[in-house]
Amino acid sequence: MEKVVAVIMVGGPTKGTRFRPLSFNTPKPLFPLAGQPMVHHPISACKRIPNLAQIFLIGFYEEREFTLYVSSISNELKIPVRYLKEDKPHGSAGGLYYFRNIIMEDNPSHIFLLNCDVCCSFPLTDMLEAHKRYSGMGTVLVSAESANQFGELVADPITKELLHYTEKPETFVSDLINCGVYVFTPDIFTAIQEVSTHREDQANLRHLSSFETLQSPTSRALPQDFVRLDQDILSPFAGKKQLYTMSLKCSGLYLAQFRYTSPDLLAGGDGTKSASFVGDVYVHPSAKVHPTAKIGPNVSISANVRIGAGVRLIGCIILDDVEVQENAVVINSIVGWKSSIGKWSRVQASSDADGDYNAKLGITILGEAVIVEDEVVVINSIVLPNKTLNVSVQDEIIL
Amino acid sequence: MKALILVGGFGTRLRPLTLSVPKPLVEFANKPMILHQIEALKAVGVTEVVLAINYQPEVMLNFLKEFETKLGITITCSQETEPLGTAGPLALARDKLVDESGEPFFVLNSDVISEYPFKEMIEFHKAHGGEASIMVTKVDEPSKYGVVVMEESTGQVDKFVEKPKLFVGNKINAGIYLLNPSVLDRIELRPTSIEKEVFPKIAAERKLYAMVLPGFWMDIGQPRDYITGLRLYLDSLRKKASPKLATGPNIVGNVLVHETAKIGEGCLIGPDVAIGPGCVVDSGVRLSRCTVMRGVRIKKHACISSSIIGWHSTVGQWARVENMTILGEDVHVCDEIYSNGGVVLPHKEIKSSILKPEIVM
Repeated sequence: MEKVVAVIMVGGPTKGTRFRPLSFNTPKPLFPLAGQPMVHHPISACKRIPNLAQIFLIGFYEEREFTLYVSSISNELKIPVRYLKEDKPHGSAGGLYYFRNIIMEDNPSHIFLLNCDVCCSFPLTDMLEAHKRYSGMGTVLVSAESANQFGELVADPITKELLHYTEKPETFVSDLINCGVYVFTPDIFTAIQEVSTHREDQANLRHLSSFETLQSPTSRALPQDFVRLDQDILSPFAGKKQLYTMSLKCSGLYLAQFRYTSPDLLAGGDGTKSASFVGDVYVHPSAKVHPTAKIGPNVSISANVRIGAGVRLIGCIILDDVEVQENAVVINSIVGWKSSIGKWSRVQASSDADGDYNAKLGITILGEAVIVEDEVVVINSIVLPNKTLNVSVQDEIIL
Repeated sequence: MKALILVGGFGTRLRPLTLSVPKPLVEFANKPMILHQIEALKAVGVTEVVLAINYQPEVMLNFLKEFETKLGITITCSQETEPLGTAGPLALARDKLVDESGEPFFVLNSDVISEYPFKEMIEFHKAHGGEASIMVTKVDEPSKYGVVVMEESTGQVDKFVEKPKLFVGNKINAGIYLLNPSVLDRIELRPTSIEKEVFPKIAAERKLYAMVLPGFWMDIGQPRDYITGLRLYLDSLRKKASPKLATGPNIVGNVLVHETAKIGEGCLIGPDVAIGPGCVVDSGVRLSRCTVMRGVRIKKHACISSSIIGWHSTVGQWARVENMTILGEDVHVCDEIYSNGGVVLPHKEIKSSILKPEIVM
């Protein structure tokens, strides 16, 4: 019987600095999203793959950060999930190669590789079938989206072969972006090894993708064992009948900087005795929401949160133990654990409910234990933990 | 004798440095801030120091054990579960501060550096026989602070005036107090301000006296003042002809170089520079008015002024770093980069120049 394994790249503490200030407490992959750690979503998607033998998480966070999570999710899903710690960052393909012996333990015929920050519908079973039809070395999940921030791929519309790949192009190349989900046959390891052994200094300094980091910051030559999936594998192998693409059919998704997904647990209530909910809203059972509050769409409320009378929440993530006081408004923001939002205060991102997700700071983030005093307005700002805001701020980072 | 040091909270004004290390342990002139104070207290016979904190005692406690053994002084922590202001912590630590001896105890604000003339303060306190003594320092712009209005010859304090609009005096509270145990009876265990609630009452009873602090004074709780403070501190070392100051053809003005640091050829270091343990400064580097923390590497031909370079960071070749640039721990400035006032959080790499002051998360 053909076995399949899945590998999820989770990164490490020196990367994901863009997730500050929330990542001060918690590694980004374990950051809660709709009641579950971020990495839970790709893991659950992998569980649906037939003949899945194991799931590996590869990263360079300390092992102890993942021990509890990994053992609990293994028990819950009844499938072995292991965290493998890299001794240093090897790049997205290098990491895969570094642990090839463990990954190939069960002799899988196919290996899925997912990036931890991706939230999508993960049509992994369809991807596997498509990959078997193409008979290439790998298949990349692509999506037709506004491609400004991400790598772009060109695919043959009939054969679906990957013809061209380029990172963050300045001119229009194509409208297909790389979703960060791949399936490979074991010959990917040979391909990675070839890149390693034949590495030569690149004449042009390439911009790195959002998940990579240069190991030695001031040198331009990458170490031999640092191999990036996109630039070092996809790009050179494009157009050689080795790599194929499959389109993600769900197009309503924003791959915004924080890639949060619409929670699928609709909060209940008949609108008379409990709060009114609009659109997709997730409310943890221990949270208390005042009946006169209006919540949603796209709101996630975590454990022990108290939402006061007359509060309006749109497009936001409210983490554990937060108190939102009467008549406050929170739009397109993330409110960190234990924070307090004062009466009639307003916390929002740069534009209103429709949100310009491509704006550089188009979201407001409050770190842990931030206090926003009554009637204060916070727009398009990032506030580090333990600060108290008693004056309004706009477009600022508050250290 | 006992002492209480008000350490307080999160040190947010000294971020990004305090994102890696609690503020009292941030080095100043190559020594943890709090150690400057503890050593001075030990020198006048203080046997126990209590740290009033509301944050991360575990990280502190490890370091403190080390100091305890080296200095032969007891150090304990008094942890606030809610912020108690500037007087509440004294009530919280009451049992640790009073004993049968009835001796007065010191209270220090942890951000203050000065020459710590504790011996003179003890004599002053005994001489006037009042209940409390405070150090005051002269400033140019008193209306930015709380001014202490006092009788010049005796030092008896008349009153405190917060940010006065008209000139009432030019002495402000320096954050160093010597208090009789009876002061504790005036403080309730709740958020209380010593300046606004406790001292005014003692002053009204004519029992509060102020001594003008000789020598320098600085509140180094934020980067700009930290850098000014270093200049004042090194200047005072120079006045005492301290052997700790570096000498040599590469050295200009007052410079402190840790013995394990290496400096290359053709450098010009100073004035007002502190270089920490294990640092490597390559040849042709210019450093002025800056602090370089432990383990930093400064590559050839770089030029750094008026900045703080955090632990284990690197500054690339020909880089120019100036105007209150603060690099957190493990920040790497690439070759040829210019940073004009960049404030960079830990574990970042700076690949493009920062042309005007900004925070890099």
